[in-house]
Amino acid sequence: MVESDRVRMAFLLNQLLTRSAERYPERPAVWARGRTLTYQELEERSNQLAHLLRERGLGKGDRVGLYFPKAVESVAAMFGVLKAGGVYVALDPSAPAQRIEYIVQNCGIRALITTGDKLGGLRPGEIPTVEFSVLAEENAVAAPNRFPWQDLAGIPGSHPPEPLQPTTLDLAYIIYTSGSTGRPKGVMLTHQNALTFVQWCADEFRVTHEDRLSNHAPLHFDLSVFDVYNAIEAGACTCMIPEDVQLFPASLARFILTQGISIWYSVPSALVFLLLHGRLSTLDLSRLRIILFAGEVFPMKYLRQLADAVPHAELYNLYGPTETNVCTYCKVDRAALGTQDKLPIGRACLNTEVFAVDDGDRVVSEPGGEGELYVRGPSVTPGYWGDPEKTRKMVVPNRFQPYFDEKAYRTGDLVRLRTDGGYDFLGRRDNQIKSRGYRIELGEIEAVLLAHGGVREAAVVAVPDEEIGARLRAFVAPHNGGALAAAELQEHCASRLPQYMIPERIELCETLPKTSTGKIDRVKLAAAGAPRGQEMGRTGL
Amino acid sequence: MPDTQTVKDQVRQFVAETAQRKGIGAVTDDESLTANGVIDSLAIFRLVSFIEDTFSVRVADEEIVNDNFKSVNDIERFVAGKLAQKV
Repeated sequence: MVESDRVRMAFLLNQLLTRSAERYPERPAVWARGRTLTYQELEERSNQLAHLLRERGLGKGDRVGLYFPKAVESVAAMFGVLKAGGVYVALDPSAPAQRIEYIVQNCGIRALITTGDKLGGLRPGEIPTVEFSVLAEENAVAAPNRFPWQDLAGIPGSHPPEPLQPTTLDLAYIIYTSGSTGRPKGVMLTHQNALTFVQWCADEFRVTHEDRLSNHAPLHFDLSVFDVYNAIEAGACTCMIPEDVQLFPASLARFILTQGISIWYSVPSALVFLLLHGRLSTLDLSRLRIILFAGEVFPMKYLRQLADAVPHAELYNLYGPTETNVCTYCKVDRAALGTQDKLPIGRACLNTEVFAVDDGDRVVSEPGGEGELYVRGPSVTPGYWGDPEKTRKMVVPNRFQPYFDEKAYRTGDLVRLRTDGGYDFLGRRDNQIKSRGYRIELGEIEAVLLAHGGVREAAVVAVPDEEIGARLRAFVAPHNGGALAAAELQEHCASRLPQYMIPERIELCETLPKTSTGKIDRVKLAAAGAPRGQEMGRTGL
Repeated sequence: MPDTQTVKDQVRQFVAETAQRKGIGAVTDDESLTANGVIDSLAIFRLVSFIEDTFSVRVADEEIVNDNFKSVNDIERFVAGKLAQKV
């Protein structure tokens, strides 16, 4: 009988680990904060955790939250949940409690892998679906429904629990992203979705067991799917960058050197940060063979500098929303960098199809044609957790393929078809922006501001910024000349929004400017918010 | 020449204002500013600019490391060291 985890062609993410553990038991699988787990150890730990989760009643498809700062246990937890047949939800350890509580309720998280400290920050009444926790820290204190990580050692770890008829269409994880109506949306991703991406990356970048992949992105950001699963698939090591190293550019540059990082993947902002302050020219980064970037447009002037700083590395621009992971890619042609004013997003990855639909609802076939980019193929999400309406809006029947029912994802991005068959990115159709690579719905921030009792009107604009993409400025009109301080609103935002969504400046005005149709005039506000703009004070614009 | 206490007061105030803007409460002199979220990649450069402008010193890129910025105490020690070099 074929054991589910020892198949020749993986159809589940956890099979990637079991296969590599058989081939490379002693090689390092994950490094974090000076600690390493070998493949054997990672395989055992995740098996043990899977057993514990099942014994506590976790059923097929149940959601488990991962809520602690990055550690080797993070990867063990991901695989442990998958082996138990569950679905993991990586939660931002630095997000405010209210946002975490919302997500827990929204997808009915049944168990948390966390620390005593993080758990203590959540209000028990606000996480009613959570039945038990596993404390992923040293010297965790056992309590009813709180299981210390060290107890895993007593559980047999040579095999995972009996699989519950898993298929590649089962959910593997849910990633929450900014929602335009004020609430984060849970993008569901299946094993097949993730493996489609992992398989393309494995072939395109030829990851081997000798590679060392950095993990810069947080685990609730889908860039980390490459960092973890492509490392595991190849028998390579994923090196999780500690928070305090990440913030200090010289430390980060040295980290790349001392860890012998061979493949780097991050948002462009992080690379620009390194470039401007990390003194890359003083380091020998010849081990770094591939640099991938995604999530936002890379300013050409910085890309050219990066190309000069790492002459031996291959550079790739990757594009794709969370709903499809990466769907197109463009390998940087170093020779053309001097003359290009923008990097294309390129052509579809293998096993993915993309096409643009113009205003006349026709597929663009002529170079120069513009339209909204659609994605079809096994990388496309089944939809948003608990939100069939939004799912229907974005994951639509593919009306351009008439033979059988299938779905395509509307990215909401405008693109132009190039003569080489690839695409250029033109911009967003709506109110979504990128800052430091994070996707932000301006409407979500506005909804939070409006939720404050003293706020009558609110608008948030994004001021273009070369280094990070955009800076957020909010304009607020209080009720009837009521006393409202910007500092109070800042705190209000901080208790509901993750750091990167908190407006840098909040300007108070008597009233916000309107267009002729009575809508808030965002164009005017954006102009007022531009660098070197004036404080508006209480007299209005 | 500013004495140690004044340097610390100014650093403390800047850190407190940054913390408040992020909805983080009172910050002690020895607690880790990276762990509590006061310092992120934007704040670090505002902090460096603040130090350069307030104390008229130049902070080199290789000095922007955890050891020098981890807590209010560490920042104060770093600044005092730079000021001592100037004389």
